[in-house]
Amino acid sequence: MKKQYTISAYTENSPGVLHRLTVTFTKRKVNIESLTVSETEQEGISRFTIVVRVPDSLIDTIVKQIRRIIEVREAFASEDEDLVFKEIALIRVFSENATDREKVEDLAHRYGGKVVFARKDALTVQMTGTEDEIRSLYELLEPHGIAEFVRSGRVALRKDVTVAKAVSHSHGSDT
Amino acid sequence: MAKISGAEAIMRSLIEEGVDIIYGYPGGAIMPTYDALFDFKEQIQHVLVRHEQAAVHAAEGYARMTGRAGVCLATSGPGATNLVTGIADAMLDSVPLVCITGQVPSAVLGTDAFQETDIISITIPITKWNYQVTSADEIPEIMARAFFIANTGRPGPVLVDITKNAQTDLLEYVYERKTVLKSYVPVRNPDPVQIEEAAALINAAKRPYIFIGHGVLVAEAEDEVEALAERAGIPVASTLHGLSAFPTRHPLYAGMLGMHGNYGSNVLSNEADVIIAVGMRFDDRVTGNLKSYLTRAKIIHIEIDPAEIDKVLKVDVPIIADARSALRALLPLVERNEHPEWVARFAECHRIEHEKIIKKAIAPESGGLRMVEVIHQLSELTRGESVVVADVGQHQMMAARYYRFARRNSWVTSGGLGTMGFALPACFGCKMGAPDRDVVAIIGDGCFQMNIQELATIAQEQVPVKIIVLNNSFLGMVRQWQELFFDHRYSFTELKNPDFVKVGQGFGIESARVSERKDLITALQTMLDFDGPYLLEVKVEKEENVFPMVPAGAPISDIRLE
Repeated sequence: MKKQYTISAYTENSPGVLHRLTVTFTKRKVNIESLTVSETEQEGISRFTIVVRVPDSLIDTIVKQIRRIIEVREAFASEDEDLVFKEIALIRVFSENATDREKVEDLAHRYGGKVVFARKDALTVQMTGTEDEIRSLYELLEPHGIAEFVRSGRVALRKDVTVAKAVSHSHGSDT
Repeated sequence: MAKISGAEAIMRSLIEEGVDIIYGYPGGAIMPTYDALFDFKEQIQHVLVRHEQAAVHAAEGYARMTGRAGVCLATSGPGATNLVTGIADAMLDSVPLVCITGQVPSAVLGTDAFQETDIISITIPITKWNYQVTSADEIPEIMARAFFIANTGRPGPVLVDITKNAQTDLLEYVYERKTVLKSYVPVRNPDPVQIEEAAALINAAKRPYIFIGHGVLVAEAEDEVEALAERAGIPVASTLHGLSAFPTRHPLYAGMLGMHGNYGSNVLSNEADVIIAVGMRFDDRVTGNLKSYLTRAKIIHIEIDPAEIDKVLKVDVPIIADARSALRALLPLVERNEHPEWVARFAECHRIEHEKIIKKAIAPESGGLRMVEVIHQLSELTRGESVVVADVGQHQMMAARYYRFARRNSWVTSGGLGTMGFALPACFGCKMGAPDRDVVAIIGDGCFQMNIQELATIAQEQVPVKIIVLNNSFLGMVRQWQELFFDHRYSFTELKNPDFVKVGQGFGIESARVSERKDLITALQTMLDFDGPYLLEVKVEKEENVFPMVPAGAPISDIRLE
């Protein structure tokens, strides 16, 4: 049975690491749902947050194959209930008149978003939340006419801090 | 400090790593390195192959004999892409290699410059590690990493791509061999709890069974395997790559596992109550259909690569360690034992296989020569002491089944990738890695023509290898499948071959042909006695089949004896 997993991988910050990671998925024809790469609390170490849907029988092997990549310091997979996770979205909504604008601002505000950019023909709403929360706001704004929509990949931390401690123990760059 | 060129730094790095032979082919982007090599030719022997793929297979042969990384050198573009099949082969068979490729100058990277290919992207899935050097001062550090990564843990191929400017620019050269890398844990100590669990399983077992793979040879754990088998009276079967790690004539030797393995070694897998799998990875050619594989057994898996644990089947006790250190930890906890009834089952299966297959196969009385009798006679004449290098197909399976290995590390073939054309270049790499051993290549007529140009390399270097071409004018293994599973429809498997003796002679290699049974032993002995490289073409029956056989995807219990 396929399930959604969030894979966090700590890697050395060097060219080609992204390619090496994606090969682990492409060789099994697994589609990446979302991907975020960022720096970490450790200099020279990057953190990849990769959301995939894979059969539960496969996830352990995939994580072990990621760990086998020379530049990978540590990797682990988590299910949503073990994580604090967010995405950020920008939703641009048409707004021809003041009433329209007011309604959009009101909706955005009520569901935790905010208007971050306004022009007379459109408003840009920023929303931070889970995929579901962002989707709800999107659906509410849809009747106003969506001009553009963009969403980031997931960023996630495990609720359990022991994993992070184990990882940071091995940190520091080789070069 | 006096500065040296990047190209000279490459040479000095190779010497630091103990490299004395490299296999390669020059070209534009690697020319500065070849120019430096000219000054180091007393310390580093360069073997000029006739195709870059052959450089990799030769380096694999060298690595398999010496246990140290083989080294290849090639230019950018087509030189680099010609390495690809060989690198993929080394990746699947865990062979340590360092492949150095030239690359266009860093200033023109990404511009589709002459002979530019993105070999780093191409080889990411088939290397243990790769790296593009664009500046001379990176060379010592990257070379040290390359050898450390290739040689340690589960060995594998590494590719270092070096731009032309990095070869010509100057650097202050300081070399430090690597012994540690933060992100890379090549070996772990066996977990004492798991060792105890494994020992408890073995001590309580009624029908224990050891599987050995290539990892036993890599870790040089042959003594420990033998000690465990003898201490607790456990039969030992080998994967294709584990052959020669355990003496073929040992009373506890059960034979080869897998599709064309032995009868007892396969069917009794499903009767065992404890499997001790050492340095092997449960390849699909070994397991057959997984649903009905090892159904009654608890499985202990000793394996250096954590990613192999639970990959194809769930194991009960994983031991993530080098085979030798794991077995050394395990041995003192294993009680002396015997399992005479269980061992007798193997003997009974062997009797059946001998009666139905082996007896007739090794000594046929009529018809043309058979592959099996050639291997059998070779095994007798060499007393099982040669290094046998086999290509891919029926002849490979016949060699694996019928050569009676008496010495360790005596079997080299392309197993995981099944690369036709492997054996001819690999055999001279083996001979150069083990000059005091006799090296005999067993090659089919299809495979022979996939790297036939390497006869020129053998002739130029005068490498005294013995090459047996088993010529049935067919792509025999594919033909066998067509016969058995595709209703005798021989779709494009028949070959109209050249005169191999004339071809051999044209390359300057002593060559002969044998097609009559009465002449076989003399022909083989003449080949073995000849001082220098020798090609013997053996004309064999066109349609001979390899049995036993487990049909692809079938349970191993469905093994066919005819």
